[in-house]
Amino acid sequence: MSPEITAPTWALFVEGWPIFRDPLLCALIAGSVLGFLSVYVVLKRMVFVSAAVTQASALGVALTFLAQILLDTHLEPVLGAAILSLVVTVLLMVDPGRLRLTRESVLGFAYAVAGGAAVLVGSRISQEAHDIQSILFGTAVMVHPMDLWLLGIVGGLTFVLQLWWFRGLTFAAFDPVGAHVQGLPTRVLDGVLLVSIGLMVGVSAHALGALPVFAFSTLPAVGALLLNLPLPWTFAVATIGGAVAGVGGYLMAFFREDSVGGSQTVLAGALVAVALMVRLLLHLVRGRSA
Amino acid sequence: MSEASGDRTLLRCEGLVVGYRGQGILPPVSVEVRRGSFLTVVGRNGSGKSTLFKTLLGLLPPVSGRVSRPPGLRVAYIPQTSGIDPMLPVHARELVQWGRVRGWSFLAPFASRADRQARDAALAKAEAEHLAHLPYRELSEGQRQRVLLARVLAADADLVLLDEPTAAMDAVAERYTLEQLGRLARERGMGVVVVSHELTIPAQLSDSVLFLDREGGEVVVGGSREVFTHPAFRRRYGDVVSLPG
Repeated sequence: MSPEITAPTWALFVEGWPIFRDPLLCALIAGSVLGFLSVYVVLKRMVFVSAAVTQASALGVALTFLAQILLDTHLEPVLGAAILSLVVTVLLMVDPGRLRLTRESVLGFAYAVAGGAAVLVGSRISQEAHDIQSILFGTAVMVHPMDLWLLGIVGGLTFVLQLWWFRGLTFAAFDPVGAHVQGLPTRVLDGVLLVSIGLMVGVSAHALGALPVFAFSTLPAVGALLLNLPLPWTFAVATIGGAVAGVGGYLMAFFREDSVGGSQTVLAGALVAVALMVRLLLHLVRGRSA
Repeated sequence: MSEASGDRTLLRCEGLVVGYRGQGILPPVSVEVRRGSFLTVVGRNGSGKSTLFKTLLGLLPPVSGRVSRPPGLRVAYIPQTSGIDPMLPVHARELVQWGRVRGWSFLAPFASRADRQARDAALAKAEAEHLAHLPYRELSEGQRQRVLLARVLAADADLVLLDEPTAAMDAVAERYTLEQLGRLARERGMGVVVVSHELTIPAQLSDSVLFLDREGGEVVVGGSREVFTHPAFRRRYGDVVSLPG
């Protein structure tokens, strides 16, 4: 007799809470913090920072596995991901104008080299290739406790620093010359912003996968910007949007028995569609009342 | 306004050579900006205005010579109205509030009551109160200029540097802005440095004019009449400026 297959229900979800708790927390932290940072990513035209850092993260994981095989070390892959993400982020902080290059050129270089190297290293550790693939395409059904801890620490510190330095970070990001003239430490602020984005993307990509991380670090801001709110509210709405996409996407995947990364990405996109409808609706209402 | 200097000099360039990678592009510039004075930097495209301006802002190091300002001087910068990203959903009030952020003062996570009062007073003084809650990107050129002016007022600056402030403006907004700046310079003892393509209004408002000509290797500084009648200026511009009587 074949085992009975039951459709997922809230009761099953509550019953399995110890299993779902960690990935849900990861989705909440990554969604909300990356949602917040997405406003900078979109407004500063750094969308591909996320893609390049994710590739570096995959290379970091591959190198960690290679080190395990060749040197018999026991480094956690997430640490390799975080270190390589940080290295690429630091590379992106160098002013490419001195070499008569645009930041896009450096991004393209980082993306291509990190991606190519990850493939080459991955081919030498074929038994671990699945883990690298999971980073690139996302399998956030389960997460390692180490991933949650690291994401919690990096996410928490990033969020606190971003809120604390909000006035300086926004001024330096969106009017860098004005901020420089008024004596703000613009290089420090720029560095803090890039390191925040790099670390969060790197650590989140290992826990959740590249696809949802790319979605969280771009789409919440797109939706929030469509609503034409003041800047602080844009950040707040993007943060909430990212959190909703992360947690809601996980629940959606559970109930629909679907891919987690795919569901989170689609939900983030659906929230942009909702924002667009709200904008159109407001436009219509204002048009009638005018 | 802070008393940053015992004498009245706010900005002094001494034998300043500007350029890139150690290569000067203009002869040495020596000029002073004093309290209450208005200096206009003019020159045709590619004359070296932007390079000089970036050096004055501290974005480029001098090739040789020096730029000095009294310690503690409050400097403010007004970008072109188009210099603020049109995607940025910043409201006029927030943009003016940035004028109050200086040095590491952002470590206080919220604007103080004094900062908020200064912001509101600046908006009122610039006749921009009604614009406070509007997105900057939805304002007209003239309205944007009022908001940027309010930011200078909120910053309580000793010295203001303006980059092509009239570049995207109609004639009315242009006159309003430059007249307001001239008035502020006189009333508040503020030094104003404007880089401009426009010649007529600076000719009427400026205490001094700095003419740059990279191609001809000329730098002329003096009163507007002196500069606009100088042979080097005439070679580039001809007789295009009507000088005040």
